[in-house]
Amino acid sequence: MFALIGIIIIAALLALVQIGAERSGSESPITTAGTSVLSFVQTATMMAAGGVRSFGSSMASLPQLSREAADLRADNARLTAENARLHELAAEYAAESAVRPVVDLYRGLEARVIGFPPENESRAITIDKGSVAGVHRDDGVLAAGGAIGRVESVGPFSSTVVLVTDYTSRIPAVVRRGRWWGIARGNLGSVRVEYLPEDAPMKVGDVVVTGEGRSFHAGIPIGTVTALERGDATLYQTAIVKPAVDLGALDRVVVVPH
Amino acid sequence: MRTAKPHVAPFVGPRWYVAGAWLAAALIAQSTVLHAFAIHDVVPSLVLVVVVWYAIRVDAPRAALFGLVAGICEDVLSPQSGGAWTISTTLVAVFAGMLSRGFFADSMPLVCAIVAIATLVRSLLFWTVMGFEGYPAGLGMLHLREASFQAVLDAAVMLIAMVAVRRIDAGRA
Repeated sequence: MFALIGIIIIAALLALVQIGAERSGSESPITTAGTSVLSFVQTATMMAAGGVRSFGSSMASLPQLSREAADLRADNARLTAENARLHELAAEYAAESAVRPVVDLYRGLEARVIGFPPENESRAITIDKGSVAGVHRDDGVLAAGGAIGRVESVGPFSSTVVLVTDYTSRIPAVVRRGRWWGIARGNLGSVRVEYLPEDAPMKVGDVVVTGEGRSFHAGIPIGTVTALERGDATLYQTAIVKPAVDLGALDRVVVVPH
Repeated sequence: MRTAKPHVAPFVGPRWYVAGAWLAAALIAQSTVLHAFAIHDVVPSLVLVVVVWYAIRVDAPRAALFGLVAGICEDVLSPQSGGAWTISTTLVAVFAGMLSRGFFADSMPLVCAIVAIATLVRSLLFWTVMGFEGYPAGLGMLHLREASFQAVLDAAVMLIAMVAVRRIDAGRA
């Protein structure tokens, strides 16, 4: 009986609080507390329900997802291989495009580098064109950037080219800026242009090109002057020249008939 | 009257076709792909490593014959060398074959040292012969830096090869 009276009194108090809040136009503290607690419960319930739904749908579509993943992996492998092949094609096209103007300009014969001397004593390459293709001894050999050497020996299907940096290489050379003549001699890693007139006002950065000779037409770049050697009692000066072509990375070259 | 047949110990060195196969592989590698791995324009001479490996395990005549074949192959592949590789490689093979009588061919430090010395001696002989063929004197000195570096590389290649062979042998055992 007392409990019932107590509940009625509490209910009446709560009702008074609610009515008071309604009259004053503000939110009742009971409503605020209730909605706050309820919102947490609602959020937790929805998250749990979402997780369960997601897990359920994932489990349901697992075989399909596995198939899709396998397909994507296969596609990825195929595209990777395709990408590598296209890169290689692009590199080959770039190499071909680089020497094509040289071939057209000099009516030369395109060749590929297929070998090198087994030891370090000489600077030479072997190319895949020989006498059958029309290569002759002493033909000049160019790359996209300039002269690289001359044909030293010719076989039916291959030829040996001595590079401009080989010690036995001798090429008539001209300094482009002043038309000073010299002889470009191989010096392993570089080229030495010797017998340049002592009074020629040469400087570092001058471009050295071929003179008209047995193997080359005039005007083909040999390299750039990197240093000058002048003696006190000599009639000539010597220019150290960095080759115009990276001779360590030759792939396609052009044989120019003389 | 029958004369007593002198006792001859059986040959225990590497088979000629095995050595030949290694030589061919070394020549092909050295004239093609090895160039791409040049360090300061220097590549190790796999041919010399194979020649020394064979020479220190056989008698001098066999070593000379093997060196002769290797040298001829190198001259064929090299421009303007004439017969310089033939002579120098044969002589180095003979020296290595004679030296092998005086030490154990399985000693790694000794074999690596022999390879390094053989590289330098062969380079010296090569440029000497090139001098006889008309090349100006002083080219050997010009190539001294390369020869010295190549001696180190050759010794390293021999060391790696011997370690690898020992590992393989240990694995089989």
